[in-house]
Amino acid sequence: MTGSSASSRKVLSKIATNRLQKELVEWQVNPPSGFLHKVTDNLQRWVIEVYGAQGTIYAGEKYQLQVDFPEHYPMEAPQVIFLHPAPLHPHIYSNGHICLDILYDSWSPAMTVSSICISILSMLSSSTVKERPEDNDRYVKNCRNGRSPKETRWWFHDDKV
Amino acid sequence: MERVEFQKLEFISEVFTSGFICLWHAVASWTWDAHDETCGICRMAFDGCCPDCKLPGDDCPLIWGACNHAFHLHCILKWVNSQTPQAHCPMCRREWQFKE
Repeated sequence: MTGSSASSRKVLSKIATNRLQKELVEWQVNPPSGFLHKVTDNLQRWVIEVYGAQGTIYAGEKYQLQVDFPEHYPMEAPQVIFLHPAPLHPHIYSNGHICLDILYDSWSPAMTVSSICISILSMLSSSTVKERPEDNDRYVKNCRNGRSPKETRWWFHDDKV
Repeated sequence: MERVEFQKLEFISEVFTSGFICLWHAVASWTWDAHDETCGICRMAFDGCCPDCKLPGDDCPLIWGACNHAFHLHCILKWVNSQTPQAHCPMCRREWQFKE
């Protein structure tokens, strides 16, 4: 799932490195609740554990998010996917790709890893059914060459879940 | 430049018998008059500079949008230039216009 785009990534720009170091410190002081970042010396890839919120259909479950930062972060959004197994959710494909507008068209450089995590947990928490998106099989088949979700042209049609 | 400047004059007591002041040191300090303390893009302090600059001040100015959100000029330019056709304010998503 790392894809060819991830392995050929360029090193982080100075601005990206600076910002990520600040975000890392901020995370250590004040981590978003329900998340655990297993810190490594790789600033460019964060692997974060997500704990399903109490009182939701994902309570007691644990998932892993992989966040890869591009050279020009935060001018460009990071690539965020769930590692296998991805939670069953109407906006999460079985290959871990997440249909969430802020990760693509609606990205803003004022957003942070922490704010992304909160959005993803909120997306999980508002779901009432554990099912895959309708077009899961077709989409996943199209991504078999290791395509990044950032190369997908997403349609965002449902803001209720 | 929208910034607050206040001056503090320190009079040095080298006053001649006539009472004229012959020597004084002017000490000035300044800060950007922004509502936030850090730039929402690079997260560096406004009183510092963006990560590409070495010295804060006129060489790394702040700029305001029509929506009144402030950023380092260098930071918002990188964002605006990467967005086509229209960039939005990183903080409030309104169409980005530089404040007149």
